[in-house]
Amino acid sequence: MSSIARDPLGTDRVPVGPGLSMFDPMFVGIDEFGEAVFLDVVYRNLLAAGEPGGGKSGLLNLAAGTAALCDNTRLVLFDAKWVELGPWRHIADEFVGRDLDHAISVLRRLVTVADNRYQWLLAHERRKVNRYDDLSVIVTIIDELAMYSTVLGTKPQQEEFESLLRGLVSLGRACGMPVIAATQRPSWDIIPASLRDLFGFRAAFRCTSLNSSNIILGQGWAEQGYNAADISPTNQGAAYLLAEGGLPRRVKAAYLSDADIYAIADYAAWLRRPTTAAFDWGMAA
Amino acid sequence: MPKFTPNRAFGRRSGTVTVIEAKVHRSSERRARFAFIIAALVVGVVTMIVASATMHPILAALLGVAVGGPSGALAWALFRIWPVIRLVWWWLPEIAFVTAVMYGWVQLAQHTPMWVRFVIVGLVVGVPALVPAIRRRLIALAWCVIVRHRLRVCFAQFIVANQSGSLPLILWARPTPVGERVWIYLRPGLSVADLQGRLEKIAVACHAYSVLVERAGEGNSAYLRFDIKRREVLTANVGTPLVDVVDPDTPKVPRQPATMPTALDLPDVADEPALAKAAKSAGNPNGKKPAASSADPSSTDDDINDWI
Ligand SMILES: Nc1ncnc2c1ncn2[C@@H]1O[C@H](COP(=O)(O)OP(=O)(O)O)[C@@H](O)[C@H]1O
Ligand SMILES: [Mg+2]
Repeated sequence: MSSIARDPLGTDRVPVGPGLSMFDPMFVGIDEFGEAVFLDVVYRNLLAAGEPGGGKSGLLNLAAGTAALCDNTRLVLFDAKWVELGPWRHIADEFVGRDLDHAISVLRRLVTVADNRYQWLLAHERRKVNRYDDLSVIVTIIDELAMYSTVLGTKPQQEEFESLLRGLVSLGRACGMPVIAATQRPSWDIIPASLRDLFGFRAAFRCTSLNSSNIILGQGWAEQGYNAADISPTNQGAAYLLAEGGLPRRVKAAYLSDADIYAIADYAAWLRRPTTAAFDWGMAA
Repeated sequence: MPKFTPNRAFGRRSGTVTVIEAKVHRSSERRARFAFIIAALVVGVVTMIVASATMHPILAALLGVAVGGPSGALAWALFRIWPVIRLVWWWLPEIAFVTAVMYGWVQLAQHTPMWVRFVIVGLVVGVPALVPAIRRRLIALAWCVIVRHRLRVCFAQFIVANQSGSLPLILWARPTPVGERVWIYLRPGLSVADLQGRLEKIAVACHAYSVLVERAGEGNSAYLRFDIKRREVLTANVGTPLVDVVDPDTPKVPRQPATMPTALDLPDVADEPALAKAAKSAGNPNGKKPAASSADPSSTDDDINDWI
């Protein structure tokens, strides 16, 4: 097995990336004035929601691409559909498909890491990880969250998944372990408002109703004119982006074509190739 | 009833003097008088005090009057010609442009033969007309100039300001991908909320699709920013700089060869009895993926106990 996948505390750090860091704000697209929009995802978490075909997976792939090219960054991917985040599976430390047991074990490991990191911070008399710490950023990306919390597995498994996820989302933000998730409609059965509000950035892609828009952005925004149901169905990738505390902004997410995604994934795989450990796929199989 | 504009007070359209304009006019006169008194007093007294250290107090008082009088007059003049200064500020880009063109033309006419002049004019006009990037840039700049005037018209025509009729300072403008962005500095009597209620009308006056106004900074509530939208950019496809990071010449990392999945059609998948399914999962406790796509080498033999 390749050595990249081991030790989440980052002692065998990923080989040098091209100077990008997850601590730099991530480029997500343009706002309605044509200016670039950057998100400080590491300290915030990001939730993308909206109807199917809205562009959520596009945004997730952009995040995965950014993380893939970043120095000392690990990817943990959850994708019940396989193809949305699949291109990144070779460079991901964990790729979870439809297996809820696997999902739970990975989340449990992540929560443990987060816990350990807080102990580490405590020992260093600090409250927050920053870019100069020798800790990797572990980016967890979950597409179609509802598959894990309502469709796959048994009820107790789903509940465990949910509570672990809540733990990770609330713990991760100060210890360099952001969560980026996508779901169709974060209604109470899929994401309770308390979990939703832990995501500092929320992107509402096109919704079918004013209510759905409110569920994503928060109560009352649609009435003030920030209504994701107004987004034209043909304008995929357009969204209302809510950053903590501010007004929702209309944005258009940048889009990576399949060819772009594979080109970036291959390049990232090359950058991250283990320089010490010999490649031995036979062992992994 | 026609609202005042400072231009009228300044006498450009003297045919339509109204009561308000007379008031504005009077208030400008009064302010100029105040300015005269205050400037003359302050400068005079300060001069007197400073001078009395070295000369006789009476001489110092005379000097104070001699200096204070002209200072007051200067202040008075400044206040009286303030509308002119404001006018010059509004039309500064045009004045500068026309002056530059005239000057350039005169210089050309003096120093070059006719055909050179024709070539130069041809170049100056032809190149921007033919090169789309320059042309678009120039058109955007022209809109910036126009939009400053349109905003001023809005303020003068239908946004009720204060009693003395002072208009917001329209500072500068720059092109954005969707239109223009203009910074203004409000005078007493207006606020962001006043303007937010009139954005539709402002958009009409600016020949724009829509207009937004917000504070330009955290600190000062008088310092605002107008965003004038003429085009929609949110329907465009946005690329990302990540693609440029990729070096096309990098070799490919060897990868576990993918086994092509079989059973791609419904008849290929047999109806699996529940018993067989249970037996299968017992035989392979980690049976977490469809066998065909198990391409992630790192996750196949996880032992959770290592991590908890
Ligand atoms: N930012 C974007 N710009 C342009 N087209 C986009 C964008 N995001 C998505 N699309 C188009 O919309 C389609 C569906 O997007 P996807 O991300 O799969 O939606 P979702 O995950 O919300 O169901 C994509 O195949 C793509 O053609
Ligand atoms: Mg999707």
